[in-house]
Amino acid sequence: MTTTDSLLAVDDLRTQFRTEEGIVTAVNDVSFALDHGEVMGIVGESGAGKSVTAKSIMRLIRYPGEIVSGSITFDGQDLLALSEKEMRSVRGNKITLIPQDPMTALNPVLTVGQQIIETIQLHQNVGESEAREIAIEAMEDVEIPDPASRIDEYPHEFSGGMRQRVLIAIGLACEPDLIIADEPTTALDVTTQAKILELLNDLREKRGVSILMITHNLGVVAQTCDRVGVMYAGNLVETGRVADIFEQPRHPYTRTLIDAIPAVDSDRNRLYALGGSMPDLQALPDGCNFADRCPHAIEACRSGSDPALEPVAGAPGGTEAACIRADELDLSEPAVEEGVERRHRETHTEPLLEVNGLEKHFSAGDGLFGNLSLARTDGGSLTLERRYVKAVDGVSFTINRGETVGLVGESGCGKSTVARTVMQLLEPTGGEVYFDGHPLHELGKREIRSLRQEMQIIFQDPKSSLNPRKTVGQIIGRGMEKHDIATGNEKRERIEELLERVGLQASDIDKYPHQFSGGQQQRIAIANALAVEPELIVCDEPVSALDVSVQAQILNLLDDIQDEFGLSYLFISHNISVVRHLCDRVAVMYLGKIAEFGSVDDVFDPPYHPYTESLLSAVPHADPAQMSDRILLEGTVPSPLDPPSGCPFHTRCPKKIGDVCETDEPLPEAVGDESTHQISCHLSVEEMSEPVTDRPVAGSKVEES
Amino acid sequence: MAFISYLLKRLAFMAITLLLVTLIAFGLTNILPGNVALLILGPNATEESIAALEAQLGLDQPLYLQYIDWVVGLIQGDMGTSLRYGTPVSELIAIRLPRSLLLAISATIVSVTLSIPLGVIAAVRKNTPTDLTASMLAFVGLSLPIFLWGLVFIYVFALTLGGFPTRGYVSPFEDPIAAIHHLILPASAMGVALTAYIMRMTRSSMIDELSEDYVEFARSKGLSERAVVLRHALKNAAIPVITVIAFQFSYAFGGVVVLEEVFSWPGIGRLTLTAIENRDIPLLQGCIIVIALIYMLSNFLADAFYAYVDPRIRYGGEE
Repeated sequence: MTTTDSLLAVDDLRTQFRTEEGIVTAVNDVSFALDHGEVMGIVGESGAGKSVTAKSIMRLIRYPGEIVSGSITFDGQDLLALSEKEMRSVRGNKITLIPQDPMTALNPVLTVGQQIIETIQLHQNVGESEAREIAIEAMEDVEIPDPASRIDEYPHEFSGGMRQRVLIAIGLACEPDLIIADEPTTALDVTTQAKILELLNDLREKRGVSILMITHNLGVVAQTCDRVGVMYAGNLVETGRVADIFEQPRHPYTRTLIDAIPAVDSDRNRLYALGGSMPDLQALPDGCNFADRCPHAIEACRSGSDPALEPVAGAPGGTEAACIRADELDLSEPAVEEGVERRHRETHTEPLLEVNGLEKHFSAGDGLFGNLSLARTDGGSLTLERRYVKAVDGVSFTINRGETVGLVGESGCGKSTVARTVMQLLEPTGGEVYFDGHPLHELGKREIRSLRQEMQIIFQDPKSSLNPRKTVGQIIGRGMEKHDIATGNEKRERIEELLERVGLQASDIDKYPHQFSGGQQQRIAIANALAVEPELIVCDEPVSALDVSVQAQILNLLDDIQDEFGLSYLFISHNISVVRHLCDRVAVMYLGKIAEFGSVDDVFDPPYHPYTESLLSAVPHADPAQMSDRILLEGTVPSPLDPPSGCPFHTRCPKKIGDVCETDEPLPEAVGDESTHQISCHLSVEEMSEPVTDRPVAGSKVEES
Repeated sequence: MAFISYLLKRLAFMAITLLLVTLIAFGLTNILPGNVALLILGPNATEESIAALEAQLGLDQPLYLQYIDWVVGLIQGDMGTSLRYGTPVSELIAIRLPRSLLLAISATIVSVTLSIPLGVIAAVRKNTPTDLTASMLAFVGLSLPIFLWGLVFIYVFALTLGGFPTRGYVSPFEDPIAAIHHLILPASAMGVALTAYIMRMTRSSMIDELSEDYVEFARSKGLSERAVVLRHALKNAAIPVITVIAFQFSYAFGGVVVLEEVFSWPGIGRLTLTAIENRDIPLLQGCIIVIALIYMLSNFLADAFYAYVDPRIRYGGEE
């Protein structure tokens, strides 16, 4: 396996963790090699062992974890044979880590400069001022504007994307041979992600550094990597060139991983979803770990040991798969579930929910004087002013009966606040909400409570929304009793039916939430919402915390129960592909306002509003053949405390036309004769259709902060 | 700008709190049993002489007028005259306050030098015998009241081992060495009693910080464990610890009331006790206000220091 010219060779690496329940083998005899200048992706769902592999390479596994066997050869050196002191001179110097979450990976009480300089001084024999110069250079390399002055700022003064750049600058400062990027863009918004990926691609071209890219996102792999290794339950199940693997996966798991992602330009075909989830690492089945979920499993798959990676007959060089049937299976076509056709888009006309000019302004800061702030007037004297965060600022849309309306936008745009305000979980500070003709904004608490039966909400994190001390039956039964739907035995039967309907067992009724996986908990949350027979379910990022294969199961479930129970959805997500897959109509939100509202096809195909267009172009395609031209937006979303005048998007808009964008707020206007498609933009439809040629107009450059 | 704004807000809060304290101090001292004039004049006083003295002291006025008079006096720095000593309350306090501060500050220094290293070591060696021993010792410190520690220290270090005076105060301006000699036992007794809280807080705060992403990232840079702990984690862990130290300092200030009695330390604690024993209401009110003020000031300083250590507070906080 080890070739002399590889930069990194991992052989039969095994990393275990001691837990109270026994030993967990998180990385189980993993072998791969990485060449000089190569970018290799390690992709898999949570618990597959990707991050542990990365940390093992840097020997950052700490008690109760332990590297038990195997070897890691880096640049001819056996890393596992080094002393801790020798290893420290490799870490941060020859091999650097770009961690996942830029919001938590930087020390909040040290300046950005201190944190970069510290690394440089540790590994290079330079003085303070020289180290500072190198740090400023590194910040320049990662395109942080004005590095000479920003170097003395603290991490919280940087946006998420800029912090990620700082992390990359730290990773680059000592000119490493290998960068391990552990989910480097997962915590970022899609437009920021696009910029960071672009930066990594540039750096790699300029410096020839090798990158090991750990990610769960096949789109990221497709757009950045040369080769990829797919991990499942602690093992590599397939490795090969990215183009080859997307062209024709050789392992059934890789195929299902690709099929489970709704493509950003998806038709509305049903997603191909596997049942179940990754097996418990402490109770691995006999034979292939994937056999229980594999659509191609045969008897032979369920005995013996887990198959090892082996070259596949007829596959391009370098392709290896850990599947005993790899030679005979043809997985080049997406799997299609037989007999299930996605229903066609229908037009729904009877309004269920009408939202007019909804506003929710939060007082900034908390406490008695919390929102008071010292400010200077134009004359220069000090004044006190009250400040408000305009989280939702004049939002209007409708949801018709039986319809799914998506609300899409980047973090902080106000979409979750819209959900909570519509549900009257938060009191709106302005605007009207009519539900089934009832003016919710005028009703008292008691009337709203009885209407709440008709409106249910599903949250992103089922762990925190299900009471851990109640059984599933008690959780679901509570709403049924409160709204007089069923009691006693009838209630129990209904709950059991519901559990089966959402893909759980009737016997699960007496279990507690922690006995279920994340995907199953979300199923319980859905059953809980269905129990009171609602008309509308507000889904607030219901699949964001789930792995792709489980995400596909939940999306299919939501789709299936819609007609069956006569439901309407307000579906909130930052994931455009998911919204596009599931929704009939969509509202694109930016900074508390709706930029565009219309049917999914009208809004996305092709996109008109410059923000919609940028958002769409930023999504990495899970197909290496489709390199889209990304529109890279300047800066980040401005603070809702101090939103820009005129069009809120003008500070970043690649198609800004001039002063009118800065002074006049564009109102929603119907496109052509279709009154259903509304765009808030000063441009004409023809102007919007032109491709973005230039980078943002000179003078509109806004620094990220 | 945000920092000044932040401090101004804290000051505004302090002013409001202080006003509430004056109300409580005034209310409480006025429901104490006992007639002040009778106490001053003795059991043989006539009704007329009591009435005359009450009029002289303003005690015949309605309570709210007495309160307003008192607060207006306070603002002007006039705390009234001690009934027992016949001298202005402010003078009495001005002499004794620095002595108590000396004791409380020394005790805090002792406890911080003991507790922070112990807390850090316990956190780094979490769940090892070292950690358990340190936690156990700290728990012993916590479970005995301050005055008992005073008695233990007197018994062990002054009476049994010898070499330390059992009681008394010497001004550091007159004889610095004797002053320190007299200070060591009471300061250590109180310091030990205070160590537990700060140590436990340091330990748990440090354990939290050591599991943060930035610590792992610091390790990935190749920093030694020592640098990771001291340079990265400790500064963050210090933020909640500072509150506890400030709180403990105020607690120490309450503790001096008893401990000063044990060590015959002529500070504000003994003054307060004397005031209670003699129903010396103006003196008692003055002492309460001053102790409350010290309490608030130490918390204000903690807030300010907080903001200094944590840049997120300094610049007006995160979103």
